[in-house]
Amino acid sequence: MMQRCSDPVVLDMWHPVAATVELAAGVEYQTRLLGEPLSYAMSPQGLPQAWRGTQHQLPVMHAYGVLWTSLGSPPDELFEFDEFHEPDRHNVWAGSVGVHTSAPRAVENFLDMGHFPYVHTGYLGIEPHTEVKDYTVEIVNDGKEVLATGCEFFQPMGALNALGGMLMEYTYRVPHPYCSILYKSSPIDESRRDAIVIFGQAVDEENTRAHLVLSLLDDESNDRQIQAFQQLIFSQDKPILENQHPKRLPLDPAVETPIRSDKTSIAYRRWLSGLGLRYGVLPAVSDGR
Amino acid sequence: MIKLYDFELSVNCYKQRLLMSILGVEFESVLVDFFPGSEHKGEEFKKVNPLGHIPVIDDGGFVLRDAHAILIYLAAKYDPTGNWYRTSDPELIGETAQWLLFAEGTTNTASAARLHDSLGYPFDIDECRSGAHKLFRVLEEHLWFREQEGLDWICSGDHPTIADIAIFPDVMLSEEGGVSSQPYPAIRRWTDRVKRIPGFVVMPGIFPAATA
Amino acid sequence: MSVTVLSGTKSGWHPIASSSDLVDRHVYQGQLFGYEFAVWRSDDGFVNIWENRCLHRGVRLSVGTNDGAELVCQYHGWRYANRTGGVTYIPAHPADANTHSSCARSYVAVERYGLIWTTLDSETSLADLEVLDVLDDGQAFPLRPIDLWVTSETTISHLERIEIGCPTLADSTKHSDLVLFVQPVDERRCVVRGVLSERPDDEAKIDVLRFYSAELGAVRDGIEKSAGVQAAPEPAAFKVHPAVEVSIGLSSATNRQAAVPVRVRRRWNTATDVVGFELEAVSGQLSTVKPGSHIDLHLPNALVRQYSVVNAPGELDAYTIGVKLDPTSTGGSSTLHGEVVVGDELLVSQPRNGFPLRRDAVHTLLIAGGIGLTPILAMAQALDHQGLPYELHHFVRSQNHIAFADRLEALGTNVTHHLALDPDETVTQLQRLISSYTDAKHLYVCGPAPMLTAARATASANEWPDHAVHFEYFANPTQQDQSSEFEIALARSAVTLPVRPGESILEVLKNAGISMASSCEQGVCGTCGVDLIEGEPDHQDVYLNDTEKRTGKRLMTCVSRAKSSRLVLDL
Repeated sequence: MMQRCSDPVVLDMWHPVAATVELAAGVEYQTRLLGEPLSYAMSPQGLPQAWRGTQHQLPVMHAYGVLWTSLGSPPDELFEFDEFHEPDRHNVWAGSVGVHTSAPRAVENFLDMGHFPYVHTGYLGIEPHTEVKDYTVEIVNDGKEVLATGCEFFQPMGALNALGGMLMEYTYRVPHPYCSILYKSSPIDESRRDAIVIFGQAVDEENTRAHLVLSLLDDESNDRQIQAFQQLIFSQDKPILENQHPKRLPLDPAVETPIRSDKTSIAYRRWLSGLGLRYGVLPAVSDGR
Repeated sequence: MIKLYDFELSVNCYKQRLLMSILGVEFESVLVDFFPGSEHKGEEFKKVNPLGHIPVIDDGGFVLRDAHAILIYLAAKYDPTGNWYRTSDPELIGETAQWLLFAEGTTNTASAARLHDSLGYPFDIDECRSGAHKLFRVLEEHLWFREQEGLDWICSGDHPTIADIAIFPDVMLSEEGGVSSQPYPAIRRWTDRVKRIPGFVVMPGIFPAATA
Repeated sequence: MSVTVLSGTKSGWHPIASSSDLVDRHVYQGQLFGYEFAVWRSDDGFVNIWENRCLHRGVRLSVGTNDGAELVCQYHGWRYANRTGGVTYIPAHPADANTHSSCARSYVAVERYGLIWTTLDSETSLADLEVLDVLDDGQAFPLRPIDLWVTSETTISHLERIEIGCPTLADSTKHSDLVLFVQPVDERRCVVRGVLSERPDDEAKIDVLRFYSAELGAVRDGIEKSAGVQAAPEPAAFKVHPAVEVSIGLSSATNRQAAVPVRVRRRWNTATDVVGFELEAVSGQLSTVKPGSHIDLHLPNALVRQYSVVNAPGELDAYTIGVKLDPTSTGGSSTLHGEVVVGDELLVSQPRNGFPLRRDAVHTLLIAGGIGLTPILAMAQALDHQGLPYELHHFVRSQNHIAFADRLEALGTNVTHHLALDPDETVTQLQRLISSYTDAKHLYVCGPAPMLTAARATASANEWPDHAVHFEYFANPTQQDQSSEFEIALARSAVTLPVRPGESILEVLKNAGISMASSCEQGVCGTCGVDLIEGEPDHQDVYLNDTEKRTGKRLMTCVSRAKSSRLVLDL
């Protein structure tokens, strides 16, 4: 059993624990967060609740289709994800999946394109189109977010209605140490973007529940297929994630060998170091300086 | 055309897709929202299968449920060589049935552990894992001796059978349920051989082998 | 019959597999004291034991594939060479074939008594692998390994007290001795590997194996029961070797520039006027070679000549080169043809690659003229091995002038020889071959100057973009510009060193004996950074952000250079 979390950075964060659509009103559910058991429920009045033990009430928030809680003193606001609220979109929960790895490993994989031809063969990439071209990474929003833009990759089948192969362009946001949002052109409206989200629940330092949420522009008739597609993609990633060692993300750059296409992951690791986050990672002994 | 009530991530549905791909049988996949929708537990699906589980096939009006029963039917009907389910010899029928029942065991332990860990099914995880290890020890010894005799497959003879198909994905995905295959090298080699059967297809979580 | 129970110390030798576990094109997952290995046998029979993690992102190599010559990581398709563990290709950066010197962390492998042995301590000598009087390597007969859910200590203490029966059915082994090697897998598990001193007759073999499998299986059940173990223990945490020991190839430290001694293993006339040489390491292992690479060969008369290495993927037991006798030779090819014989020792540089091969083309067109075949052949073998589409056109004077005909034959219909064409016919043929350009095609040409010129002209006339046309020594293999020349002053040690074009600051520092940590060696990871006291840096890395680059207080010694004539480093 993992130790309790003593990392103040992580204790004070908001953490996702469930998709609210799966909650029946008035029913009590159990989960684990940061190594500790906790309970949550949606009251018959539609108010979320979370508590530890029998009565210790925890802060709660209902945002982006997910129930959030915290074991410390969380900020007033959660990160922004404006697309979720656009009236002509619909938001789909694609499932919550347990995976035997740390939340940062799951997020870092979500940010990675180079594996598409090997792990998502025929779906998100295919040999010999393996090159990751240069793109831009910045730390934005007052140091609160990692942003990668202009990320292009050859895709044989980007979404269900994309025929043949094409260069897809992605934008990645990491607005929370354990969450990431990926944007890609909507197949029905080139000028706007669908969003695919991973909200990582750190069950403990080496186990995660990934809550997968999609915010889409096309009509709802495809929802089930798109949901199935997203599950398929995540299920292809799963054996990779579960065979990665160490399970905690090493922040010391010398522990693993990054390459140029890993710019986002390098920025992400440095950003985590800068936040002083220690839970689910192996902190760098020094940052090389 | 055969209709398969199907869910991409289900090992038992995959067993049908795998066998039909190997036999070159065309089929149409009817997606069932197993997760997160639990459509298979809904009233509508119970008209197809009152037990509320997948896979189910509908072959021109003949409806059949239960993964290993469907494998028997498909092989008996669509494999003209008779190799995949050998009805020519009572011993071979018995042997195949024995290993199909073993596969029920691996499904109820290794694959159940996977459902627990991935999708939160309320199973006794310790029991699932220890049950899987006990079965894997038996399978390891069996396959190790097969190799010593120059044989590649679970049942006697030099051709794979539906028993190989039935056990393969439970073993391949066991790590998702926290059951490591590291202590079972003969099982790991056998999974490579299954992956090299002509017509082999993957499911999410299983990668192809290098060509031999 | 005697039973001997043996188990090595933490730094000693241990069996981790049976020889028969390493079947073709398979990756075996081994474990010892909580360390994990990817163990695989290449098509040439070599046993590789590597730490079971890809250098890049830590994914188990045992979930990757053994293609007979290389191990391919399942996550990003990184390719690792047989024998050296050297990274030969990183698909995310097809143009960077030249920039990596990292190697999978490898362990020594020894096959003895039908088992695969290794040690965690690279200092442990082979002599410490005990030669057992009771076992004769040729006769030893390994049994089915038995895994136990208890520690090796518990297992050993039980084994020393138990009786193991002797099969009555097999006369041929009734006087056989039994040795039980106990392999500590991790803190909670072990494997007992039994070896009989005598090999049973073939017909009794299976019965003997079944007898001992049952016997040892019962022992296992007894030990587990008395230890109160009812279920398989949770796998222990994967132990990772400390960072400083991981990665960094054989050659990346101080001796990258240094020549290594090789011995001529084979010399043969491969075509009219062309002699083939196979050069094997005098000791140790040759460095990884990538298609298109060449080596500098130091000749007995002190001349140094460059030769392309013909080797196919995973072929690292010797470097193969083809030397054409140049009638105007000033002592290079004439010396090799006239004087160098099997058994001679020469020095070679580490392989260098000025002609790297991309492997992301939808079609690769390879064109070779005469002995220009050598780098092109290495490329063709690599593409062929990976099943990538290509064709090789070889312009050559006659059938008798075709070098390495056996290797070419193995490539089948992908190879076309164009025999005895005159210069005009050659140009016409090139125009036919290098026809219109379509996306993601690549052209590689190596041959005599007139042919190169004609090929370039044709490609350009047919609108092939420059980035798709590759000539040996003309392509710039990396995005880094290494052309500047400057000096570095080390403030703390009061030393000034010149950095010449083609050398990195890191190499200069290492060559000067300064201990420098480094990892990716392409300006990505930040490991080799140093503080800059004075001078204007030319960063070229992607590790530092724009602000850090503007302030110029730090640089990455692997790729950064100087815009000023001198940099003062805080070293």
